[in-house]
Amino acid sequence: MAIQGFYYDGKTSRAYRATLSVTDGVAIISGDVERTCPLDTLRVSERTRHAKRKVTFPDEASFEVEDVDAFENMLIDTGFSDSTIVRTQQSWRGTLLALALTAFVLVTGYLYGLPMIANVTAKAMPASIERSISSGMLDFLDKQILAPSELPVARQTALTERFTAMHPPKEGVPAYSIVYRKSKIGPNAFALPSGQIIMTDELIKLMDNDDQVISVLAHELGHLHERHLMRRLIQSSAVGAVVTLIFGDASAVVANIPTIMLDMHYSREAEREADDYAIDMLKANGIALTQMARGFEKLKEAIGEDPSGSYLSSHPSTAERIERIHRAQ
Amino acid sequence: MSENLPLFPASADADRGDAPQRFFFNGTGSEYFRIWIVNLLLSIVTLGIYSAWAKVRRTKYFYGSSTVAGSSFEYHGNPIAILKGRIVAFVLIVIYNIAMQTSGRLALFMIVAVMAIAPWLIWKSLQFKLYNSSYRSIRFGFRGSMIEAYKAYLLWPLLALFTIFLAAPFAHQRMKQFQHNESRFGATHFSFHASVGSFYRAYLLVFFIWLAGVVAISIGLGGAIMAFIAAIRTPGNPEPGGFIGFFTFLFALYIWMFVLFPIFVTLLQNLIWNNTQLGAHRFTCEMKWPRMVFITLTNILGVICTLGLFMPFAVIRMLKYRVESMTLLPAGSLEEFVADTQAQASATGEGMADLLDFDLSL
Repeated sequence: MAIQGFYYDGKTSRAYRATLSVTDGVAIISGDVERTCPLDTLRVSERTRHAKRKVTFPDEASFEVEDVDAFENMLIDTGFSDSTIVRTQQSWRGTLLALALTAFVLVTGYLYGLPMIANVTAKAMPASIERSISSGMLDFLDKQILAPSELPVARQTALTERFTAMHPPKEGVPAYSIVYRKSKIGPNAFALPSGQIIMTDELIKLMDNDDQVISVLAHELGHLHERHLMRRLIQSSAVGAVVTLIFGDASAVVANIPTIMLDMHYSREAEREADDYAIDMLKANGIALTQMARGFEKLKEAIGEDPSGSYLSSHPSTAERIERIHRAQ
Repeated sequence: MSENLPLFPASADADRGDAPQRFFFNGTGSEYFRIWIVNLLLSIVTLGIYSAWAKVRRTKYFYGSSTVAGSSFEYHGNPIAILKGRIVAFVLIVIYNIAMQTSGRLALFMIVAVMAIAPWLIWKSLQFKLYNSSYRSIRFGFRGSMIEAYKAYLLWPLLALFTIFLAAPFAHQRMKQFQHNESRFGATHFSFHASVGSFYRAYLLVFFIWLAGVVAISIGLGGAIMAFIAAIRTPGNPEPGGFIGFFTFLFALYIWMFVLFPIFVTLLQNLIWNNTQLGAHRFTCEMKWPRMVFITLTNILGVICTLGLFMPFAVIRMLKYRVESMTLLPAGSLEEFVADTQAQASATGEGMADLLDFDLSL
């Protein structure tokens, strides 16, 4: 059996009309050019239906196959077999199995695997790493969106003392400090991974009483205690990496949309976890949960609901959060 | 396969004439889908390690499916080399992202460091890509010096930046000139003849098309913008209708960018390849922008509607159109290219460049 094709000698671009045949473990090229070569020194390109198949010689000369079917019969006769991966790629059954497995791995990894790994990793990591990450952040915020607090120092100290005297819902509270600032962007409170909880004058003014302020502080302490920033960092890097693997050879724009949507799910999960932490903390210290719910309502009245819809927002809706508080009572 | 045969010269003598040789792309979406999904699964379960092998397999498929004058291309990239590059790139990206979170000096330092190292990476990547590509068993190669790479990928882009992009077409021309003038096929040089002026004309044309679109959108949605301005001037609760109109306006501009990009790609690819020569052989590239816009938009829609499953089909459609728009105009025999015996290439660079997302095709 002789296979039709073209032979290229690796020295010039001349296409030699030639045939390939195999006798006793030796490949024979004949036609415009003559050559023999032991079979075990040759490389055969992977089987595909549409790309051309090539046999490559040790010196980079190659034979490009024209008659693919005859060539495949020859490969079978000489005992050559495709790798498992190539065989899977060529069968629709293997492909569908791969598709189902990929979907399964992606969904379970996203919902359970990654959050668990991120949780374990973040908690095993020394707190000093997380702190060094945001060491310059407060300076930056002070320049951009914050101003010195106008709250009397006595009131600041009283709030801080009351909060620090409270029992945390679980052991191992990280070192933290409460920082009071005036805000240029409206009522807000947030925690930096460096352990600073920033409370704004505007938020204190908005709340009806100190219990409501305390419940916000407890929520922020929850973010710190549960190591949310580090977990988010690990999770979003992993999501970004997987999305790049999948969409890497399409456009970056296509890749960014799912990344953001997938990441926001983790953000909402973190908010729920911080709410639960605050609920536990308030309960442990005998503060009525209705205060926390009322605080959320006041915030919603002041700054409104995130208009982007639930799949793109970083927080669960206020209604959902209040509902969660009522269920905890 | 056999039904394609009549398209190719039946024997070695046939391409001795000066008949134009079209490029063909025989890959299909359904076959690439199967390659893609199997290799994607392996890449995910090996935590990305297999992605280097997946990339080699994918590239081999693309190259092996592209033919001109009856012969296909071949890719020789070594997965281990690509894996090493990807590991280095991964570490760099992690450091970069952490630095970005910290704000301030470290972040600035990282931006400068990335800018300083990028030209070297691209230079290495060009060497790797070309050295690992062959046609008729003759390897391609890249000879440009590092100094020239820094001019093309750092000096001129910085100039473009500091001239609020007025120098961007110039920088782009210098970049392509460097890439194409220094590329070789065996011992034969490519050369690049597109002038700076022609790049300015292409950019200006794209700019005016963009402007015309923006004007049209503004006229069409002008009422909505007026309503929005009125809404923010009115104290008290802004009217939601104004916002919806404004977001429609922004959305229209966003969609317009999607339409514009393929027009840009079309003009530039045509300009670049119509002015590139291999020795005395020339190329023509006849991409049509309506077709490109159609392919791009339907690809995006397809990928969104199938939650990503259309991806491999989209990639093949685009590649097929871009490859098959090209024709080689031989000036004599295509049989007399000689291999460059001293050619060598180091393997760094490649993995990094592809992870850092440089598109070197334009």
